[in-house]
Amino acid sequence: MNERIKALYKTHIIEKAKDETHTGQLTDATHVIEAYNPLCGDQFTLYLKVEDDVVKELKFNGYGCSISKASTAVLAESILGKSLTDFGKVWSDFMEIVNENAKASPEQISNNEYLLAFAAAREFPERKTCATLSWEALAKALITH
Amino acid sequence: MTNHFPIFSKHTPLGQPLIYLDSAASTQKPQVVIDTITDFYTNEYASTGRGSYWPANAASAKYEQVRHQVASFLNAKSDREIVFTSGTTDAINKVARSFVYPTLSPGDCVVTTTMEHHSNYLPWQQICKEKKCELVVAPLNQNGILNTLALEAQLAKGAKFLALTAVSNVLGTQNDVTAIVSLAHQYDVPVLVDAAQAVAHYTIDVQAWDCDFLVFSGHKCYGSTGVGVLYGKTDYLAEMQPANYGGGMVQKVNTIDSSFRPIPHKHEAGTPNVAGVIGLGAALEFLQKKGLENVYEHEQALTVYALNQLAAMDSVTIYGSVEQRGPVISFNLDGVHPHDLSTFLNEQGICIRAGHHCAQPLMQWLDVAATARVSFGMYNTKVDIDQLVAGLKSAYQFFR
Ligand SMILES: Cc1ncc(COP(=O)(O)O)c(C=O)c1O
Repeated sequence: MNERIKALYKTHIIEKAKDETHTGQLTDATHVIEAYNPLCGDQFTLYLKVEDDVVKELKFNGYGCSISKASTAVLAESILGKSLTDFGKVWSDFMEIVNENAKASPEQISNNEYLLAFAAAREFPERKTCATLSWEALAKALITH
Repeated sequence: MTNHFPIFSKHTPLGQPLIYLDSAASTQKPQVVIDTITDFYTNEYASTGRGSYWPANAASAKYEQVRHQVASFLNAKSDREIVFTSGTTDAINKVARSFVYPTLSPGDCVVTTTMEHHSNYLPWQQICKEKKCELVVAPLNQNGILNTLALEAQLAKGAKFLALTAVSNVLGTQNDVTAIVSLAHQYDVPVLVDAAQAVAHYTIDVQAWDCDFLVFSGHKCYGSTGVGVLYGKTDYLAEMQPANYGGGMVQKVNTIDSSFRPIPHKHEAGTPNVAGVIGLGAALEFLQKKGLENVYEHEQALTVYALNQLAAMDSVTIYGSVEQRGPVISFNLDGVHPHDLSTFLNEQGICIRAGHHCAQPLMQWLDVAATARVSFGMYNTKVDIDQLVAGLKSAYQFFR
C-alpha cells in the first residue's frame, strides 16, 4: 500500500466516515441544507437548529464517499455549540487546509487533527470537491439566509 | 496488441504500468492514428472546400475518401448518407432539432429508454418540453434488458420517434436493434440508433438493421476527439433542415434567400474537423485490419472472464444481465464508495470509472447513486482483470 493513499484515508477519514454520532434528522430544524454534487451524485441533507446565532443541534443523513461523509461528520463536530461568527474562522481554515495552492502548510493553519486529516486532499485535487461538499453548501445556505 | 498503442509503453506518474479499463469513456489511440493525423498536419495540411491548389485538393479528396470508407464500414447505401459531426452528442442534437422537432405538435410523444446516456435523453426531453409533448421512457425488465412489450405498447399509441442505444454504457446490455427497429417500423416510427458503445466492438450494418439514423463518436473507436458520424437514410437527410448555417454548405447566397448544397454537405456548415476525419479513416482501417469479428471474440471472452471473476467475490454486486452484453461491467464493492475505489485503484495504475456515467435515469432505476464501471478495448488482457480483482480485494480490506 503506498503512503499517499494511507495518508489520505487512514489518518481519520475512514474512522470519521463510519462515525454515526451525528447522523439522523431534526424535525425542528431552523435550517435544512442540501449538499449535492452533480458530478458524482453524492448528496447529504444537513439539519441545523440555530438559536441566537449559535448552532445548538446538527444532524445529517445522505450518501457519499468516505471523504465527503467524513468531512460532513467533522463539519458537524466543528460547528456544534459554536456561534456562526466563530465558526467562520474554522470554515476558512478548513478551506485553506484542502487548498493545494495555499501558501501556508496545513500545520501552520490549524492544529486540529481532524481538520488536518483532510490535508492529504491537496495531493488528490480531483477529490477536493468531496472534502468541501457539505462545507460549501453550508456556507452558501447561511450566507443567503 | 498493446504494442500498437504508445501510451502503454509509458508508466503512470506513480511509476506503474497503465491498466486502462475505461474504453467506454474513450479508447486509447493506436500509433497509426496518431501518425496519420501528424502526417496530415506536417505534410499536406489545408482545409477542405474548393481550394483549387495543392494541398487543399488533396485534403478534400482524403476527407471525401473517409466518407466513402465510413459508408462502407456501416454498409450504408451511399456516401451521401454520411454526415461528419463533432461527435455523438452533436449528431443526436442535430436529428432532434432539425428532423424531429419540426414534426412535433402538442400532445405527441417521443420514445426513448431507461438505459440511455444523457446525450440520447436530454435532446429529446428538451424538444418535448418546448413542444408540450411527452417523452416516454421505455422500461427495462428486471435483468436490465429492454421490455419490448412495454415499448411496443408505446409505439402503438402513435409515437413520433424512437431513440435507442445499441449498447448501454452502464449495463453493457446489447439491444436487439434489428428486431426493435422492425417493431418500430410496423408502427411507422423512425428510429435513431446511438452506436457510441457499439462501433468499436462489433459489426454495424445499417441496411440489415434498417435504422433511419445512426450516430457514433470517433474517440470511442480509436480515433481522435471532436469527430463523429451521423448516418441518415437519404430521404430523411434530404428532408431534414440544416441545424447550422454558414460556409461550405451553400449553393447560392443572396440577400433575400439562399439555396443549399445537396446532402451530405448541407449538414456540414463551417470548416470541419478535417484532421479528425482523416484520423477517423485511419482508425476504422485499423479496426478492420484487426477484424471486428476477432475484436468481438476477444472482448467477449474477456467480459465473460471478468464477470466470472467478479461474481466469485461475495463483496461484489454486478448490475445488469449476463447475456447479450458488450464489454462494459458496472458493479459495486460492498462498503466502498465507487469514488474511493477509483482513487484507491488509481494508485496502482488501474483506471476505472466511478459515478453515474451520464445515465441518471438508469441510476434511479438501479436505485444506486453511483457505480464503479470497467470496460474493455482490444488492448485489454486477462492480466488486467486479474490485477483489477487483486486491487478490489485489497480495497475491500483497506476500507474495512
Ligand atoms: C451510449 C453513449 N451515447 C452517447 C455518448 C456521448 O458521446 P460523445 O460525448 O462522444 O458525444 C456516450 C459517451 O459516453 C455514450 O456512451
